[in-house]
Amino acid sequence: MAANGSSPEQSGRRHKVEGPKKHIVAFVFSILLTFIAFATVIGGEINKDFIYIILLGTAVLQVFVQMAFWMHMKDRGHRFAIIGILSGVFIVFTCVIMAEYWVWW
Amino acid sequence: MSAHTHTEGQLPHEPEKATLEGRNKVLGFWLFLGGETVLFGTLFAAFLALRDSVMDGPTPDHLFDLGLVAIATAILLTSSLTSVFAIQAMHRHETKALINWLIITVLLGLGFLGLEIYEFYHYVLEGHGFTTSAFSSSFYTLVGFHGAHVLFGILWITLLIIQLKRKGLTVVTAPKVYVAGMYWHFIDVVWVFIFTVVYLMGKVV
Repeated sequence: MAANGSSPEQSGRRHKVEGPKKHIVAFVFSILLTFIAFATVIGGEINKDFIYIILLGTAVLQVFVQMAFWMHMKDRGHRFAIIGILSGVFIVFTCVIMAEYWVWW
Repeated sequence: MSAHTHTEGQLPHEPEKATLEGRNKVLGFWLFLGGETVLFGTLFAAFLALRDSVMDGPTPDHLFDLGLVAIATAILLTSSLTSVFAIQAMHRHETKALINWLIITVLLGLGFLGLEIYEFYHYVLEGHGFTTSAFSSSFYTLVGFHGAHVLFGILWITLLIIQLKRKGLTVVTAPKVYVAGMYWHFIDVVWVFIFTVVYLMGKVV
């Protein structure tokens, strides 16, 4: 984990403190995604399956924004974090698919 | 993890990762979040399987008020942002700003919880109790579990604020704040799926 984003000549200097700008952009983006999701349902004269796809799409995108930027997953040294969460997600998908498609058969 | 130079007696740039204990806490917390994902996943699965079984009780379409849900979502998203600002203040070693952002986060969390309690109270008055139908049981279990997590987060962060005021920002307190911030984002992530799967999909008839 030696490659930590900063070039060798920088490491002696003061650390660069990251500004709030990136996070405000992420915030605006997630508000926008939320708005799209709500508007699709409220405006809703469209095909039901299409609405579901939009809803799931915006939710997944939003989770990606949250995890990558706010939970620092995009930062270096998060390989075990990704493995931990992904193994959770794998079990979740199994459960959800089981409940949705098998329970009532 | 960081090979940067540090002045003696000064707090390192990322104090949460400065000690092995701190790094282990963060790693362990990620694995815990994996387990939490499974917990909520099973609750979501149960809800998805049972959401059409309303019996004589009210249907989701009938019950949900999207205006209220939109406000709750906005509050929780904003609190996620303020907790990011708290962590940024921590990286700048500004303990006072860190505490203030944490207080704002807690207040927003309380606002969210208040809305949820009002919502549940309202539903019960409309004849949507815990035992009304399979839909209502799975609904209250899923959304209530999330609400309980919010409550736990509020208590946790409140205790951290008290500790920060007493002990200040050190390599011991910093990982705690960082991990609490991760927990708060995770709660937000779960809520994203709740408003999508429970409320918005419930409104699609």
